[in-house]
Amino acid sequence: MSIMDKINNLDRRIIYLLAWIFVLFPLIFPLGLPIPISSDARSWYNFVENNVHDGDTVIFSLMYGTSGMPELFPMSVATMKHILQKDVKFVVLGFWTEGPLVFNALLRQVNPADYGKVYGVDWINLGYIPGGETAMGALATSFQNSVAVDFVEGRPLSDFPIMDNIRTATDIDLIISFETGTPGAPEWLRQWNTAYGVHIIVGCIGVSVPGMIPYINSGQISALMPGLTVSAEYELLLNKPGLAVAGVDAVSTSHLLIVLLVVIGNLAFFMTKEEKK
Amino acid sequence: MTIIATLLQVIPYYFDIPVLSNVASTATNAVLLIVACATFVGVISVLMVHAKRVQRRTEGWYFSGLIIVFVVIMVLTGLPLQEFGLGSKNSIFNWIFTNIQTPLGGTMYSILAFFITSAAVRAFKARNIEAAIVLVSGTLMVMGNAPIFTNTVPVLVDISLWIRNIPNMATMRGVMIGAALGAVALAVRTLMGIERGYLRGGGED
Repeated sequence: MSIMDKINNLDRRIIYLLAWIFVLFPLIFPLGLPIPISSDARSWYNFVENNVHDGDTVIFSLMYGTSGMPELFPMSVATMKHILQKDVKFVVLGFWTEGPLVFNALLRQVNPADYGKVYGVDWINLGYIPGGETAMGALATSFQNSVAVDFVEGRPLSDFPIMDNIRTATDIDLIISFETGTPGAPEWLRQWNTAYGVHIIVGCIGVSVPGMIPYINSGQISALMPGLTVSAEYELLLNKPGLAVAGVDAVSTSHLLIVLLVVIGNLAFFMTKEEKK
Repeated sequence: MTIIATLLQVIPYYFDIPVLSNVASTATNAVLLIVACATFVGVISVLMVHAKRVQRRTEGWYFSGLIIVFVVIMVLTGLPLQEFGLGSKNSIFNWIFTNIQTPLGGTMYSILAFFITSAAVRAFKARNIEAAIVLVSGTLMVMGNAPIFTNTVPVLVDISLWIRNIPNMATMRGVMIGAALGAVALAVRTLMGIERGYLRGGGED
């Protein structure tokens, strides 16, 4: 068997080992590659900067579990930092069971109290709301009927001053949703954007991006944060380099490996084809 | 019942009829209660399935044992009884979530990197013209998403954005509109009583 045949039938364990090395190396020895800022990162930054006004009320929704954290957690932290710089009120909730627990992890990175935000007055955590899209629809018609108590203190919503002015979807100015699947953007759009005109911006994992593009193009989603690389760009725009910037070198090297293997694989494919002829 | 339940949700979505909206809202809240109760069914089901495996000592039964142990611990420590130190602030619950569930979840997702690399090497081969188009567009998308390439060849960003925003979007729109039309057809068939498979989990009569 020639070397080209061997490359053509490369054992997947060798590919896995190479992938492991190419991902691990930059995490141990950061390369510090420059990160150019894309239009996606600028759109997201500009939307939060220019379209979220003082006095607005925002839903901050973590629609993912621990498996989505490597890609979505950095953008969630960065966006939360951006939102906290503004005089807005925000409601944290999730239609994914692990969402509230992921938010607890986020609180260990960003504490709203450090930005002068008081729980129950400036923000509230409603936790996990079971029921998927049905629950989204119910929440839009009445927060108080859909959620009995808050997630942090287990007290009725009427105990919190922030909820005095938050009753239906019409009281919400923006939804920021980070998500890995269903329920996610299409459900938000059906129940909140189409029905009540609430603006939505979505952060999603890379594989979900192709499905989001029609919504961005139609203007139903106001901004999109597609994956870890754009999260790193957003962190740079915020001037708060964090988890995404730390991980983007590994994105570069892993992508480099894929391109190298594809090129070598195709060369081997054509050379063995010629030999057979 | 199906027709009534469906129309009860559909009509208030398009028309503002307060009486219907109120009834629909009550029905929706009932659904939320049912879903919340279903969580318990899920826990019981998981325990029953894995308890059987442990009892019969089937292959890998000790993994089922581990699942049972952790389900019981997480359920008990996560009960919303803050006055007893339970709930999401419970130290055991948090320790397991932070130090076991979070890294395991991240690992499961990260394994994709290995599979995608291996799949890309095998699938991205220019065997014919269609495969060549997939190869070129896929490779350009990969390169357009990595700063190591976009720093040196900035035009890659524009190319990958073009692929994403034009051919990809056209395809995705087609898929979405097709799926939506299919859903409408299914809904109409269900409302007319033609589609009854859902009643007994099988096919049509």
